[in-house]
Amino acid sequence: MTDKTNDPVAMWQKMVGEMEKGFNSFANQAMSSPEFSQAMNRAGGVAAGAQKQLGELMEKYLVSMNLPSREQVTGLAERLQAIEGQIGEIKSLLSQMAASAGVSQGADSALRPPRTKRPPSEGGEQA
Amino acid sequence: MNAAPGLDFASIPERIQSEVQRAIQRSIKGVEYFSTSGPSLGSTPKDVLHSRGTMSLYHYRPMSDEIYRVPVLIVMATTNRGYILDLVPGQSFIEFLLKRGYDVYMLDWSAPRPEEKSLRMEDYVLDFIPDCVRRVQADSGEQDVSVIGYCFGGVLSLLYGAIHKDGPMKNLICFTTPIDFREMKLFSNFSDRRYFDVDHLVDSVGNVPPEMILSSFEMLRPASRTVSQIQLWENIWNDEFVKSYRMFDRWATDTLPLAGEYFRAITKDLMWDNKLFNDTMSVGGRPAKLDNIKVPILHAVAEHDHIVPYEAAKHLIAKIGSADKEEVMLKGGHVSLVAGANAVKRLWPKLDSWLGKRST
Repeated sequence: MTDKTNDPVAMWQKMVGEMEKGFNSFANQAMSSPEFSQAMNRAGGVAAGAQKQLGELMEKYLVSMNLPSREQVTGLAERLQAIEGQIGEIKSLLSQMAASAGVSQGADSALRPPRTKRPPSEGGEQA
Repeated sequence: MNAAPGLDFASIPERIQSEVQRAIQRSIKGVEYFSTSGPSLGSTPKDVLHSRGTMSLYHYRPMSDEIYRVPVLIVMATTNRGYILDLVPGQSFIEFLLKRGYDVYMLDWSAPRPEEKSLRMEDYVLDFIPDCVRRVQADSGEQDVSVIGYCFGGVLSLLYGAIHKDGPMKNLICFTTPIDFREMKLFSNFSDRRYFDVDHLVDSVGNVPPEMILSSFEMLRPASRTVSQIQLWENIWNDEFVKSYRMFDRWATDTLPLAGEYFRAITKDLMWDNKLFNDTMSVGGRPAKLDNIKVPILHAVAEHDHIVPYEAAKHLIAKIGSADKEEVMLKGGHVSLVAGANAVKRLWPKLDSWLGKRST
């Protein structure tokens, strides 16, 4: 069997691992500085501003093309979401009514195991 | 010239043959890698109990003849998908819990829609979690509920528990949950209030894009992605390695956007003012002091966690008001603590032995 200290593959893997640690540590030090935070956030702020302007331009373009704007689509989505919520509530109420009337709600509820399990040490069961 | 000590010349032909075989295998498996999809994740049978916008509540179908009285609700981190806890059979935390006799529910998140940019911390702590707890109570027929929170899901669970001090939470388990945000050094520097204009960002983009969240995670270890790709190529002949790589890589890159107002609150209240640690946190005007939590609590932290360093998590147990409280530090990183081969041997059995006796 080849000794790991002389195995070129193992040496390569070790070198890659050391390089990873070294680079991560160096980068972490560099990223801990206030200068890094300032530069990163300046770039991020410019990108966010550009994204906002692009969004506004696109909205104007859609209006001129007689297509629904983002705001209108969002409004529709909000109404859909409200309808989904109401359906959820109705389903939940129906389930509660069915449960109180003793009606089985499908195979799942009929087959639920009893809630009688004890931890192994109490019941003498092996872990 | 003397041979280097330990160098076994007799093994060299065998080693060359093995490397040539691996090189051939790499070429074959490399083609396979790009022409196939990864393993199917999150496939433990479940029912969607409720779904509302970004929030989904699942109930997993029992896998045991007898279950513990107290159901378990898992609260997932809002930045990532819940299938990290349900990878593949044999490496699924959910499956493990089900087989050990727990009745398992999960509060999982999908990407918030553009119109959900106005979701606030109040919506998560005072609406989504209590709503799910009520539904778990109704579905299980039990008043008590144990809560497990992973990473920021742990922070949300702590806030929920600190505000709803009269129940119905029976036990709380936090995995790698930060409370001292000053100690998340790099995140703290990235969001330095002198340079980071969170209002400008949120007002510009609405929901914070997943690329930004992913980049901030990757910047913590900038070389690691490249190195993991090198390791993938070296080990591409090894089906188990490739399967594991694909599962974790898919999950890690499947980051979720964050609702804008929620992100604004996290930045201002937690990153800037460190309110949870300073006992000044409130949600919707309701104080959320950690010593309000009196239920049994287990906090599992990872020895090599680069996302939530131990310094950011270590004060949690001291600040909790419970008499029954325990911190356990296990080998591993932020993700390998909860998922993968090591979690199967370390965290999961520990959790089972702790929670089982508190679930009757």
